[in-house]
Amino acid sequence: MAEPKVEKETTLVERWLQDQQQWQRTVLSYVDSMTKNEDFLVHLGNAMRGSLLAGKAYPAPPTPGVPAPDAPVDDRLDLVLHAVHLLQGQMQDVLMALEELRGTRTQQVLPLDVPPSAPPRTRKRKATP
Amino acid sequence: MSAPGQEGDPDREIEALLDLSERSRAKLDRLHEVLTTGGHYGTGASPAVVVYRENKLRLLRLVDAAGQPHAGPPVLFIPAPVSRYFIVDLLPGRTFAGHVAAAGFDVFIADFGTPTQEDRFNDLAYYVDGLVRRCVRKVALVSGHPRVNLIGYCLGGTLSLLYTALYPSSVERLVLLTTMIDGDVEGGIAWVAHRMGLAGESYDNPRLVPAAEVKSWFEMLAPGANSQIGRVQDLWDRLDDAPARLHDVRTMATWVDDVVPAPGRLLAELYQQFGPGRNRLMVGTATVADRVIDCAAITMPVLAVSAEKDLIAPPEGADAIRSIVPHAEVMRLPGGHVGIVAGRSAAALWDRTVEFLAESRG
Repeated sequence: MAEPKVEKETTLVERWLQDQQQWQRTVLSYVDSMTKNEDFLVHLGNAMRGSLLAGKAYPAPPTPGVPAPDAPVDDRLDLVLHAVHLLQGQMQDVLMALEELRGTRTQQVLPLDVPPSAPPRTRKRKATP
Repeated sequence: MSAPGQEGDPDREIEALLDLSERSRAKLDRLHEVLTTGGHYGTGASPAVVVYRENKLRLLRLVDAAGQPHAGPPVLFIPAPVSRYFIVDLLPGRTFAGHVAAAGFDVFIADFGTPTQEDRFNDLAYYVDGLVRRCVRKVALVSGHPRVNLIGYCLGGTLSLLYTALYPSSVERLVLLTTMIDGDVEGGIAWVAHRMGLAGESYDNPRLVPAAEVKSWFEMLAPGANSQIGRVQDLWDRLDDAPARLHDVRTMATWVDDVVPAPGRLLAELYQQFGPGRNRLMVGTATVADRVIDCAAITMPVLAVSAEKDLIAPPEGADAIRSIVPHAEVMRLPGGHVGIVAGRSAAALWDRTVEFLAESRG
């Protein structure tokens, strides 16, 4: 006849001790990540603000009266850079126009060079945005 | 003294405290796991190559596993330049752009990047007549199709609409997602920004509006839920979810909370033209670089989608497209501004968009 299985009931004191040990493990895992991974602190800070944002700090409002750290001291350099970006765009337009011309010319030449059944490499553009 | 099992039983109370301790610890362990695991955070889910760069802009072209572009007519996504682009390409299996590519389209996405100080001088013409126009031109060049399908999301929809009115012959079909048309419809981000001082933004002497300030406007749309206490409570509750679900939440949070700084000149111009009380799109006097926007030029098929619970672009304001483009198909979907594009029920929008785009093929 099998003996009835006796399970040892965990007392409240034992459960409390186990709980304390688990908390130590949890705290140690956080401390370990903080020391090994700089990003973890940023992510933890975000979580404390209620956000799971990854990769950067949650955008914090500027302190009143304190200028933003990247506030421009002088407009002139930024105006020059802005003008350079506008020129970059105009240059890209020129390059694209050349590319379109090359495509159109290739298409005009292609029918003489390839059999009629072969698809053209480029299609004629109907409109230029 | 109370009997065991009744209120006031010290053993039961200690057990309840230990249970609470265990549940709280499990949440913190789950949070630790989520914070220390990598994922799709801000990079886009689909493989892509950069086919064009200008200033901070990158034009991405989705490619297949072999690195080849998808075959089919070109589709260009224009997201809002004040947020990150990857909302349209969020997660594997949950990507609008990937869904469109899988349906047989050659998909491109404009990533406007993060503006820096010199970009505070960028105005509406810089975006519409510059970046968007050259993106469309580049897409036409590399795809070999002279007409491009445009899908604009939120403010990206406004840019797409203005572009299409100026250059209608280069657009095959136009899709506008949660795009505010009638600025006099109360509510939404424009009204919040108006109340928080956007009217004071200078066109002539612009600043780079900090990301935190732009973020504060979005937070004011739902002040209770978006307060720090509200957000922390929401995150604490969510920590009961499975880690896989929390990773998805983190990807979405990375988009929602990663607002980029905004060029002050662009915001000033948007406010002066389309803000509350201005409403120049509705009255037909909107301009881009002194060129009047004539919506009558938009004769190609247009699909405009609004979201029933949109706090950012109220659906009545988006549906007003009927007034300026009468032939537009207007569809209102259940859900919010972000949910209809990248939420769990986004498939309704994706499928209708693919159907709409495919109608060109006959």
